[in-house]
Amino acid sequence: MTKKNSSHKSAGFNRRALLQAGAATLGAAAFPLPAIAQTKPFAGVTLRGASFQHRFFTLLQNYIPEFEAQTGMKVDLQLSAFPVYNQQANLELSSGGSAFDFVNVTFILAARWVAAGLLANLDEFTIDPNLTPAEWNPKDFVEGAQVPYRDAKGATYGYSWEGGAMVMGLSRMDLMEKKGLKVPKTFAELQQVCAEINGTENVNGIVSFQLHHWCLPPYIQGFGGNIFRKPPADIMPTLNSPEAIKAIEYYANLLKNYAPKGVLTYTEDQARQSHMTGRSNIFIHSSAWITPILLSNDSKVKDTSRVVRMPAGPVHDYPAANSQGLGIPKNAKNKKAAWEFIKWALSPEISMRLVKEHGHSSVCRRSVIESEEYRKLNTVNGQDLGALYLEVLGLPAKGENYMAYRTVKEFPIVGDVLNKAFEQVATGQLAAQAAMNAAQEQAVANLRRAGTAL
Amino acid sequence: MSGPVRRSASPRRLVAIGVTLIMLLSPFLWLLQMSFKSNDLILQFPPPLIFTPTLQNYASLWQGAFAASFVNSLMSASFSTALALVLGVPAAYALSRWAGRGKHALSFAILVTRMAPPIAFTIPFFLFYRWIGLLDTVTGLVLVYTSFNLPLVIWMMQPFFETVPSSLEEAALVDGASTRVVFLQIVLPMVAPGIAATAILCFLYAWNDFFFALILTRTNARTAPVAVVNFMNYEGWEWGKIAAGGSLVMAPVLIFSLAVRRYLVSGLTAGAVKG
Repeated sequence: MTKKNSSHKSAGFNRRALLQAGAATLGAAAFPLPAIAQTKPFAGVTLRGASFQHRFFTLLQNYIPEFEAQTGMKVDLQLSAFPVYNQQANLELSSGGSAFDFVNVTFILAARWVAAGLLANLDEFTIDPNLTPAEWNPKDFVEGAQVPYRDAKGATYGYSWEGGAMVMGLSRMDLMEKKGLKVPKTFAELQQVCAEINGTENVNGIVSFQLHHWCLPPYIQGFGGNIFRKPPADIMPTLNSPEAIKAIEYYANLLKNYAPKGVLTYTEDQARQSHMTGRSNIFIHSSAWITPILLSNDSKVKDTSRVVRMPAGPVHDYPAANSQGLGIPKNAKNKKAAWEFIKWALSPEISMRLVKEHGHSSVCRRSVIESEEYRKLNTVNGQDLGALYLEVLGLPAKGENYMAYRTVKEFPIVGDVLNKAFEQVATGQLAAQAAMNAAQEQAVANLRRAGTAL
Repeated sequence: MSGPVRRSASPRRLVAIGVTLIMLLSPFLWLLQMSFKSNDLILQFPPPLIFTPTLQNYASLWQGAFAASFVNSLMSASFSTALALVLGVPAAYALSRWAGRGKHALSFAILVTRMAPPIAFTIPFFLFYRWIGLLDTVTGLVLVYTSFNLPLVIWMMQPFFETVPSSLEEAALVDGASTRVVFLQIVLPMVAPGIAATAILCFLYAWNDFFFALILTRTNARTAPVAVVNFMNYEGWEWGKIAAGGSLVMAPVLIFSLAVRRYLVSGLTAGAVKG
């Protein structure tokens, strides 16, 4: 009886509760609550990220409070100097640490980290519609900028937030016009322009900086050579090929004869300063370093400048391109939260805000770079800098990836050797042939010592 | 014969002194003048020697995270020096008074940590610290610096204790003083110059360390030398801040060394001549 009563009672209660719940559900469906009032899935999560200091992150920090408010998580973003970050992140990742939930995947370390399996496969997030809405569109990222973050099977381990496209800045078109010189389109014309301008009104023909293994390879490739035989499959160095020797002679000749004294030890800063003040006419480097001649308030040569494609070699036209990406360490504790952050930081909306509100143009989303607003902001003196940037950044993905030499994990070792060899040639200590023969032997020995099978 | 022999300052000697001073001081003076220049002036060629100085670099240093890094450096260097002295001085005293068979073997064993380069210990320290949660803490740095300074203290202090006659201690013991009183009130004051010299060397090692601080810290316990490197940004080097930071990093060591230079000289030369 009691049982019956109780069951009856409970049945009545259940019916009433069921009716109430049903009504509530219908009500909620008819009048959905605003998103802000819903439960925040990442409330209480502290997301730890790390990168090197860069303007992108400095600007992004302005928007992070919005992201924190939307998601309920707290973002602890640690920024260090480039060499410091690389050292610390390399150690953290390679020792299987989980101190960071997201990291910058540094271009020069990307191949090493991907090959060693230190990063999470981001395809697992992008293929899941619950984690990534269709409008985020991974294919919107410029293909050339994404190449370093893929493994041999094509899986993605990072998404690019910064693109570097090698272009040529000419700061003294006024002098060139006086002398009847046109913008150089070939290596031969480049040398001729440098020779003609050098010394005119105390202006140097060209300026560069000390990272020769970034500046030199486009010349090596332009003459038909490469750093490795066929990267990434065959990484036998080819530093003493006739093409490489010709390139090193050519580039050393440019710097020896037409650049400021001490150029071999110039930092990027010094080179940019020399270029922006009109003390040097030509500077060939990443767009972020070249476009200040047109965009910076400190530029003294805004009216006399041009930014164009770097000259083509007799065999190839291979301007260098690179990028920086965001990825998730394999052992990260908060992978989903980290993906939420990456998704937000690299969304079309944030990319466009960076462009519109801060003039930060080196984003990697094609839809943003090709937008009318971007074009308006990045057209200076009639030059569409966005189109030029996109054109160069996309080149490595067209056909054979000619930037593959730089994304193999063996490159830093060979790059150091190349730097020293170039300095020996540029300072006249050794002839190009002898320096490159020695460099080839040194590179092979160093790679073998590092455990590379050649 | 008392005091050093005075020699007349011949022109050749003056030139030699001048050249030496220029060689020694010019890098420091160049860094110092850079710290009072704006970035534009620093990059100007030829460099202007006459300019309107600015304190902007120093002001922006203290507005940023450098101040905290400076405090971290001070704390880790001071505490590790103090801890190394507290542990090392009694150990050195004990070793100097011990005539047992294992004395040399033990002294040698203590020195082993100084024989290998720091890189050999970095990864084990990193992994161990991560495991016990000491990464990016001042405590972690103090322990590392102490472990490296301890052998230095023991080896440096032993000769000083050996110069103190045992008869003094025996006399005090006969008069009823305890071993602790003998050590603290009789022996320690006699080796004070040695302690000062040793302290300076320990402090310098910890203060100037870059490598361990780079590997074992992130942002919370970042020290001044690592903070200076953080002005080398991807988009450009902040030369003014680097120079100001470098000058500030040098300042405490210079002040400390000048304040105790008498002890330093006597401490470092003690025991050089016996008899």
